[in-house]
Amino acid sequence: MTKYRLFLGLLAVEMATLLCLYGLGAVRLSRRAPDIVVLQEMAAGLMLTDLAIWSEATYARHPSQADLFSPFQEYPSAIEHFPSGSILAPPFGMRSGGHE
Amino acid sequence: MSKHLKILEFVLSSLLRRKIKNLGIVAVFSFVVFILASILFLTHAFKTESLAILEGAPELIVHKIAGGRHDLTALRYGDEIAKIPGVGRVLPRYWGYYYDASTGANYTVMGATEAPRSTLELVRGSFIEAGQRGVCVLGEGVAEVRLAGVNGTVPIMGADGELYRFKVVGVFRDLSALLTNDLILVAPEDIREIFDMPPDVATDIVVQVFNPSEVANVAKKIKYRFPELRPITRTEILRTYETLFSWRSGLVILMFLGALVAFGILAWDKATGLSGEEKKEIGILKAIGWETSDILALKFWEGAVLSLVSFLAGLIAAYAHVFFFGASVFAPALKGWSVIFPDFRLLPYIDPYQIFVLIFLTVVPYIAATIVPSWKTAITDPDVVMRG
Amino acid sequence: MIQLDQVTKIFNKGKPSEVVAVREVSLEIPQGSLSVLKGSSGSGKTSLLGLIGCMSRPTAGRIVIGDRDVAKLPERFLTEVRRETFGFIFQHFHLIAGISVLENVMLPLYPTGMGLGEIRRRAEAVVDGLGLSERKHFPVQGLSGGEQQRVAIGRALINDCQVVLADEPTAHLDTTLSEELIGILLRLHGEGKTVVIATHDPLVYDRAFVQQVVEMRDGRIVPS
Repeated sequence: MTKYRLFLGLLAVEMATLLCLYGLGAVRLSRRAPDIVVLQEMAAGLMLTDLAIWSEATYARHPSQADLFSPFQEYPSAIEHFPSGSILAPPFGMRSGGHE
Repeated sequence: MSKHLKILEFVLSSLLRRKIKNLGIVAVFSFVVFILASILFLTHAFKTESLAILEGAPELIVHKIAGGRHDLTALRYGDEIAKIPGVGRVLPRYWGYYYDASTGANYTVMGATEAPRSTLELVRGSFIEAGQRGVCVLGEGVAEVRLAGVNGTVPIMGADGELYRFKVVGVFRDLSALLTNDLILVAPEDIREIFDMPPDVATDIVVQVFNPSEVANVAKKIKYRFPELRPITRTEILRTYETLFSWRSGLVILMFLGALVAFGILAWDKATGLSGEEKKEIGILKAIGWETSDILALKFWEGAVLSLVSFLAGLIAAYAHVFFFGASVFAPALKGWSVIFPDFRLLPYIDPYQIFVLIFLTVVPYIAATIVPSWKTAITDPDVVMRG
Repeated sequence: MIQLDQVTKIFNKGKPSEVVAVREVSLEIPQGSLSVLKGSSGSGKTSLLGLIGCMSRPTAGRIVIGDRDVAKLPERFLTEVRRETFGFIFQHFHLIAGISVLENVMLPLYPTGMGLGEIRRRAEAVVDGLGLSERKHFPVQGLSGGEQQRVAIGRALINDCQVVLADEPTAHLDTTLSEELIGILLRLHGEGKTVVIATHDPLVYDRAFVQQVVEMRDGRIVPS
């Protein structure tokens, strides 16, 4: 067995793995597609404009409607998307709720 | 038999001589690809899913600005806007924020009476019926932190200081978490009562436009006729979300800048010079009858072997990390945190364009860095090379 | 037949480090002959050997190999001539460390159209012929000086060259190994190959089998 055959074999295995993963992904996506349609209908029906991801501040809950002067908005000049930030840890006890 | 296969054979023998060094390069290279690909996959998956869902959002909403701040929007604006050609239904929205001190969470309270059939199927229990008062439908995040199920009650402190008790008639299923997690849906009359909204105003107004390409025009007309109103189009919303995720992924990449720089130095180190031994080897190969093009092919394969193996390995690792293991390394940074947080489903949305970009950012420069410095050595006479 | 006509080689021309290695050398090496370029180190014999073997191009003068003037040949063709005509045995062997004896011997044929299996068969034949069968899968750096020398010879022979050029082949060998090497070179000469040896070892140039001795000093041929 020559080395180049082993190498090409390794490449082929890697490629095949990727293709399998890609195919698997396509299957998962096609299963998800109907859900997306349902969620679109929901956004339209309930007139929802934003994702319910970060509920800590109005500009985080509804980025689409943030005031133009809101602090730490979604722009590169912002230091941190406080309070739903990725860099600074949340205040102690905040995530478990009941800090009062 | 192709010359390249034989050169490849020699390259492999040659690379195996410095196993530790080359395995090190493969490890670092794979790691860099893994990080970049993970971040790209993750961002793209978030973006695609979010933007796809928001495609269903209203095309145009309008709210009043007073002194540069949000203000409640008078319903009469709706009547005026409805007269603009091309405008379909104009509907008031009633919503607001409610901070629940006992859980430390912010909820979005929203008025609703009707929902499409497909949405009703996502509700455990029933939905609010027209005219029904004192009932609510909860997002699963709210239900979870409030420990409230169907037939439970949720108290909300009104603007007048009174405690309003809402009976839970329905709870949204997980599937819709991305949209409904922090929602408390109540009847519009109820929300006006607890938030003490005058009868002639709404929070904002949703404007339906028949022709999608007219949305921007309608928005312009509204802005022109009512300078105190602020129209927000769906395109703007989608753009904001796109920026948001890009911005966050940029920050994450920034955190790994160190690794990228280290990789850059590694490539630079290769690019700026060959070791004496490598030069000598090129000289020997030329002396025994290899052409310049053969030497360059040799160097090409040397770069290609290391970078291709590493690139594919990094890509596979990134795919597994993001789509099988929920991107445990980077997702916290990209998602951030919140007291009530929806369950993200990461679906393998892959953008081939990003993979090509990744190839051009990693494999191509690496191969170039391997070939370029050997070029000068390869074109000189072997005799000179061997004299040192 | 190799003919050199007023060949001059200057290294680093125009720079302060300029060295004239070979000056106006004219020389004829008949086909099938065994010639020796003799001279102390720095006399220009290695440079001259390099010029003959198309390893570098002369600064001035003509080099005719067969009936082709190679002095002005483009690099591609020069490589082709080098690969098809010459086999080099270098003073420091110049083997590629870390790879096996067999692979070192196979190297010159990689860029040709020959299949890997065929190249391997040929290399095995050559290696066996040089008494290295036991060692063929060993990495070359672990071999003794004499064995390395033989690997270098094997590599020079794999392309079935017509001319063998050896630069100080006995420099790193003791008398026994030197004699062994001379034996190999004589055998090649006996097979009809032209052999050119650059050396300052009397063990080589003071021998009856040498048909032509060219003495060099300061880049010139010393008239005999």
